[in-house]
Amino acid sequence: MTVIQTRVLTKRYGGSKVAALDSLSIDVGEGVTGVVGANGAGKSTLIKILLGLLSPTSGDATVLGHDIRTEGEAIRTAVGYMPEHDCLPPDMRAIDFVVHMGRVSGLPPAAARERAADVLRHVGLAEERYRLMGGYSTGMKQRAKLAQALVHDPRLVMLDEPTNGLDPAAREDMLALVRRIGHDFGIPVLVTSHLLGELERISDHVVVLDAGHLLRSEATTAFTADTGHVLVEVLGEDAQSRMGQALAARGVAWQPRGQLLEIDPADAPPDALRDIVRDLAAELGLGLVRIQPQTGRLEDVFREEVPA
Amino acid sequence: MSERTGVIHDIGYRPYTGPREGRWGIVAGLLRHGALSTFGFGRSARSKVLPFGLLVVTLVPAIVFVGIISFVGMDSELLNYAGYQQVTAAFVSLFVAAQAPVLFTRDLRSGAISLYLARPLGPAAFALVRWASLVLAILAFVVTPLVVMFVGGLGAGAEVRDELPRFLVALAGALLLAVLLATVGATAASLTMRRGLAIGGTIVVLIFGLGATAILQEIGREQGVEDAAAWLGLISPFVLVDAVQHGLGDAASSFETPPDNPTTAALMLLIALAAAAAALLLLVRRYRTRGSR
Repeated sequence: MTVIQTRVLTKRYGGSKVAALDSLSIDVGEGVTGVVGANGAGKSTLIKILLGLLSPTSGDATVLGHDIRTEGEAIRTAVGYMPEHDCLPPDMRAIDFVVHMGRVSGLPPAAARERAADVLRHVGLAEERYRLMGGYSTGMKQRAKLAQALVHDPRLVMLDEPTNGLDPAAREDMLALVRRIGHDFGIPVLVTSHLLGELERISDHVVVLDAGHLLRSEATTAFTADTGHVLVEVLGEDAQSRMGQALAARGVAWQPRGQLLEIDPADAPPDALRDIVRDLAAELGLGLVRIQPQTGRLEDVFREEVPA
Repeated sequence: MSERTGVIHDIGYRPYTGPREGRWGIVAGLLRHGALSTFGFGRSARSKVLPFGLLVVTLVPAIVFVGIISFVGMDSELLNYAGYQQVTAAFVSLFVAAQAPVLFTRDLRSGAISLYLARPLGPAAFALVRWASLVLAILAFVVTPLVVMFVGGLGAGAEVRDELPRFLVALAGALLLAVLLATVGATAASLTMRRGLAIGGTIVVLIFGLGATAILQEIGREQGVEDAAAWLGLISPFVLVDAVQHGLGDAASSFETPPDNPTTAALMLLIALAAAAAALLLLVRRYRTRGSR
């Protein structure tokens, strides 16, 4: 099912010639969809337009079947939104704030209280919910922001940079939570980030934006599929270049990738290639750490398609 | 060892299938929440000190008047409902200056505004509901002393027949005052993220505005241009409410040059309401731009 559809969506601010979004046509389905791009690539502008808070210069879009130009209220009723920046009043307790946000989204009082307690538990703020949010750590604030986006049981959530400012452990927790929302809770998620590695792990589908342009919109598996190349890691003195010379002597093309050797097997059958590498390592007296098929990474999209 | 019978279930995420409120239900809830948080409800205990402190101080004259009538036995003419807000203008102004930022500056400063604007109501309705919450809170603040005087006066033996018309005129005046003060407070508080600046701005407009109007009207009277001086009432909400109560409700005026005919008072009322409407329009526009950023 398509939850978001945009057709040649364009946004220019004021009389600016540069478009914040340029003829963007994407379809977003269920599960977790990552929108990735550098700061200023148009991620937040896209979310504001989809919420009906900003009108596009041209083009059309629908969210859950509602037109963004005329049905903003219906969209905002059904969508949960977590902004990028701080948005929590420091002098309120998380429980009161989330109940209040549930009420503002149309939940009756009793349901708002019940669901607020529920979602705060889901995001991991069970004990801390009675404390004033001014005293929260960044990780707790991000969780509270996520809770308010979920309290009204939205049919779609838009998360703007949910891992911003988090330490590695808190980042992992937040990513796991986002994945749970998309898969276990069954709520489609649109999540933005400027970190490719993050989205690679949690998204089913990735949209890559660069300066308002759509670079790619594909299933994550298409980005991370087997590239056909083989990565080899060897240990020993001057291991990489010695191994490389030996491979070249056998007519095997390779290039360095960090500490590893990336081998293009060309037409050689994989088994034969593995045997060659094994034998060469034994001859040279090098420790063979691994031989593995190379999978693509999202950052390769940028390396290939964005001119430096 | 006793056998354990309790089982903990992880019920996982539960979708909500119950009823949802429509636009008006949301408006009512937000209005109530806004008016209550102006008095510090739903916030820290410290936030309740100032609004309730000011309310108590504002009630003192009302209680003294009722006491005088009850124990000294003076005439109930002493209960000047329509002139009460002018007596306590400084406290009312402080309440508006200090509490309007709760509904406006606080959202802007904490960033919560972006959450509100992404909710069903949207920017325009949200701005108007915030303003209406402030009107309600100010109304509660200015009407409470009037009710204390009215009920206390009746308890001390005043006649309902005599008191009710005067009380009703003052109630209408209080409503007008609340609308005008809320507009001034909302404008100042929504223009800045700094609470101190919002408070200072409101105080300058309300308290200094009142003082300046009184002085200018006095000068006008001495120069013999009472008609022109009456129009100066448009500068201060307190003087304007007094003028309207005097011109349209026949209440005693607390100022030097009240308008001498109902037409002038009605015109002043219309101009003041038009100015308030224009200020509200600007408020809505500011929230619209804010939502798109």
